[in-house]
Amino acid sequence: MHKLLDNKNALGLLFMLPAGALLLVFLTYPLGLGTWLGFTDAKIGRTGEWIGLENFQFLIGDSVARLSLFNTLFYTIVASVLKFVLGLWLALLLNRSLPFKSFLRAIVLLPFIVPTALSAIAFWWIYDSQFSVVSWTLVKMGLIDRYIDFLGDPWMARASVIIANIWRGVPFVAISLLAGLQTIPPSLYEASSIDGATPWQQFWNVTLPLLTPIIAVVMTFSVLFTFTDFQLIYVLTRGGPLNATHLMATLSFQRGIPGGALGEGAALAMLMVPFLLAAILFSYFGLQRRAWQQGGSDK
Amino acid sequence: MEYLQSLPRRWVTLYIPLGAFLVVLLFPFYWMVMTSFKSNEELAAKAANPFWIVKPTLEHFEKLLFRTEYPQWLWNTVLISTVATFLSLFCAVLAAYAIERLRFRGSRQVGLSIFFAYLVPPSILFIPLALIVFKLGLFDSPWALILTYPTFLVPFCTWLLMGYFRTIPYELEECALIDGATRWQILVKIMLPLAVPGLISAGIFAFTLSWNEFIYALTFISSSENKTVPVGVITELVEGDVYHWGALMAGALLGSLPVAILYSFFVEYYVSGMTGAVKE
Amino acid sequence: MSNIKRRDLLKAGAGIAAGAAAPMIWVKNAYAQQWNNTPEKGAKLRVLRWSRFVQGDIDQYMKNVQAFTAKYGIEVRVDSESWEDVRPKAAVAANTGAGPDIILGTYDDANLYPEKLVEVTDLCNYLGKKYGGWYPACETYLKPDGKKWIGVPLGATGSMMVYRESQIKAAGFDSFPKDTDGFLKMMKALKDKGTPGGFALGHATGDANTWCHWLVWTFGGKMVDTSNKVVLDSPETIRALEYAKELYGTFIPGTLSWLDPNNNKAFLDGQVSVTNNGISIYYAAKNSKDPKINALQSDINHANYPAGPAGVSTACHLFMNQMIFKYTKYPKAAKEFLRFMMEDEQYGAWLQAGIGYTAQPLAAYEKNPIWSVDPKHTPYRDACKQLRPAGYAGKLGYASAGVLADFIIVDMVAEAASGSKSPKEAAERAQKRAERYYKV
Repeated sequence: MHKLLDNKNALGLLFMLPAGALLLVFLTYPLGLGTWLGFTDAKIGRTGEWIGLENFQFLIGDSVARLSLFNTLFYTIVASVLKFVLGLWLALLLNRSLPFKSFLRAIVLLPFIVPTALSAIAFWWIYDSQFSVVSWTLVKMGLIDRYIDFLGDPWMARASVIIANIWRGVPFVAISLLAGLQTIPPSLYEASSIDGATPWQQFWNVTLPLLTPIIAVVMTFSVLFTFTDFQLIYVLTRGGPLNATHLMATLSFQRGIPGGALGEGAALAMLMVPFLLAAILFSYFGLQRRAWQQGGSDK
Repeated sequence: MEYLQSLPRRWVTLYIPLGAFLVVLLFPFYWMVMTSFKSNEELAAKAANPFWIVKPTLEHFEKLLFRTEYPQWLWNTVLISTVATFLSLFCAVLAAYAIERLRFRGSRQVGLSIFFAYLVPPSILFIPLALIVFKLGLFDSPWALILTYPTFLVPFCTWLLMGYFRTIPYELEECALIDGATRWQILVKIMLPLAVPGLISAGIFAFTLSWNEFIYALTFISSSENKTVPVGVITELVEGDVYHWGALMAGALLGSLPVAILYSFFVEYYVSGMTGAVKE
Repeated sequence: MSNIKRRDLLKAGAGIAAGAAAPMIWVKNAYAQQWNNTPEKGAKLRVLRWSRFVQGDIDQYMKNVQAFTAKYGIEVRVDSESWEDVRPKAAVAANTGAGPDIILGTYDDANLYPEKLVEVTDLCNYLGKKYGGWYPACETYLKPDGKKWIGVPLGATGSMMVYRESQIKAAGFDSFPKDTDGFLKMMKALKDKGTPGGFALGHATGDANTWCHWLVWTFGGKMVDTSNKVVLDSPETIRALEYAKELYGTFIPGTLSWLDPNNNKAFLDGQVSVTNNGISIYYAAKNSKDPKINALQSDINHANYPAGPAGVSTACHLFMNQMIFKYTKYPKAAKEFLRFMMEDEQYGAWLQAGIGYTAQPLAAYEKNPIWSVDPKHTPYRDACKQLRPAGYAGKLGYASAGVLADFIIVDMVAEAASGSKSPKEAAERAQKRAERYYKV
């Protein structure tokens, strides 16, 4: 028994068992079915027949689907970059010595804690074309003379939902990076400053490299969740105005459920896979190559 | 080395940016708090000052707490989120250790394949998943959620923990191995304590993701007393095209603050825990 | 055409009903003998319905449910979801073969999975005979093959013109215009007076769909012809879109982002003088504790949609159905439940408690006091009677459901109105999008 437990492979498999079992039972069938559905003309309440690539051919030719692809890429790239920059900055700020440190760190998490369905509703009112508190303030301050149409103009709407997404996501990035920052020994900073390094050099040569594994993980997930975002868009705009904020996830839901075209909805969801896969692989292999941490040999 | 910075400089590089962040992040909450204490009449008027309340009222909280099943929903959500988080952390710790340290045959591929869980979004996955939930007899019970949430929690926690495990020097393990410790002992006595910040981060986010989840909670639960907060609040407080703003915001607040307070304790924990002493 | 015959029948039926003095008194005994149904022993029912739009609705509904349980000893559990969330749950039930016994759905839900539903022809025939007949739209939706009923209609929620009496008078109009030319004139005048109107052009499942379909239909356009061929891109549609463009110029800003609740808020705050909505705005004003809003109730009035060149004033109001799923263990009990709930004692009381939010599907209930107790309720009475299903003029099914869910008509009107596309382009694009669905 001892021998077995010491055998790396056997032990490895044993350790993987809980996670593996859960994922296998609850995911393989749905994932498989979800994938298969994309190749059929299944409808709600009616199993479909195999139609091969027809759904995909249609979607590639469909202007709304193409628009949703553009929207999703735009939304994800802009939101993720900003979340990373702002999140890192916030993490650096919170890492410094501050009064009420733990209190601050806790309340910073609030946007992330509020159930998305509810904070989305709050943002919906904040963006309301007649009642927005932001417009009200700007009008009172004399900066604008008409209420801003946050969600009525396609580009404004895109900006507005991105801002809501960033608001909700920055705490996630910040706190994760903060925990990573905490594991960097202060002695490294002390040593480098004795050697005459400026704060910027310290950041670039000490902080960033050591933080890279965590950055890779956090940003991959941030990208994954942003790319497949559903709830926020659904509540704020339902994909409007004129489909300007329809992401692939919201469009696939709209086509599949109220529209009843389950096969087409699944196919649209499948079209997300190459991008998500690329993000995962990039992070897994690319960024983690720099793991010259002890314990991780170069891959 | 904070002492090396002059005060004005601290203001510019620290306090002002931090202040700006806080204002932006917390402003919607300020608005939510105001809304939950404002009477319905004040809410409906465009002319009213959104930043101040003329006549604060507790009617929304009263409606929420006493005339809906909110306390029950809150309890359900806490229960489901907590158990799902612990379950996911348990699976993730083992999996992360196995992939990262044990390096068993095929660990690379397994590590990668876990992420395929994210390739199909829940907004489509929920239908085939519902079938499984029915077949297993879990429909309309908290277990439907407790067992399905790990499908999107475990991969994330695993990968996060892999990252943290990787920052722990291998020498510590080597020494322990030489001293005759078993893998399990190493995991529990060495790795886990050192990865506490990672565990807490992973736990916080697993908990939050479970807390916020909507579509599975909507689909797999029917009875009102089994609902979670996001679903219950929307069902009860949105009457067709009339939104009960005050009560909705009160619900959002009541649903977030207890969790925030809980978090503040954990934040305290990992702040005091790790200040680099271990690495020396 | 059989439609005309049916309308005559309805008129006759209504005439007979009118003969029996209000409140409704039905010749119960004669018809009661024709209904024979014994629910299964030990039956238990689970009902999923949309979350109430007005509190009175659910209060009375639950009272009715309790009366049912008291009479038959059958336990009934009622769960609610937000009305748009019932759809994914119904979809799951249809796909997985398990779930609530009865689901109250909307629009053409039943046409998406007709084979999964219990046939209720006997029940519908009984109710139709007893209560003056079903309106044509009910048959289009729930008797798709002309022979078998796949669900029991519950009614329809009308989305009518809601307006501020004082403001249209100030703009020079004594009564709400009955034709589209007058309507446009009035909207322009209202805008000049600083009291503009506003109609939803975002993805508002209720409000936007209703008025956009009205617009296209009232100019003679339609999605498909009777053989399900897409004919959306037509001169009539383009005329409708040009009209929409002019109309949009009179709206308050922001309507492109309006979802269902937006117009309620704006109207109650006095920012729009005209919009389309269910009776909920009036109801909110009546019940408001704010004196300013409460005072609005005397100024609010309702009207049917104006008629355009095609001479019809119809819209695709929100149709509600009741479906029994085949996987239920107690089909007989379920049928008995639906029968009970549709009988006058229960349904009539429910209509009243819902203060006019739902309009009846059966002609006899036109006499329900709710429609006469407040003259402002009357425009909503005929919502189910005059509604046209959104798949007009073809057959309902996946195609019509898909087209409605994808907001093809709403997007077309929005694109043309806001000027982001010319009316011709918008119509062409919508035609192409719709063709994909109807090629099945």
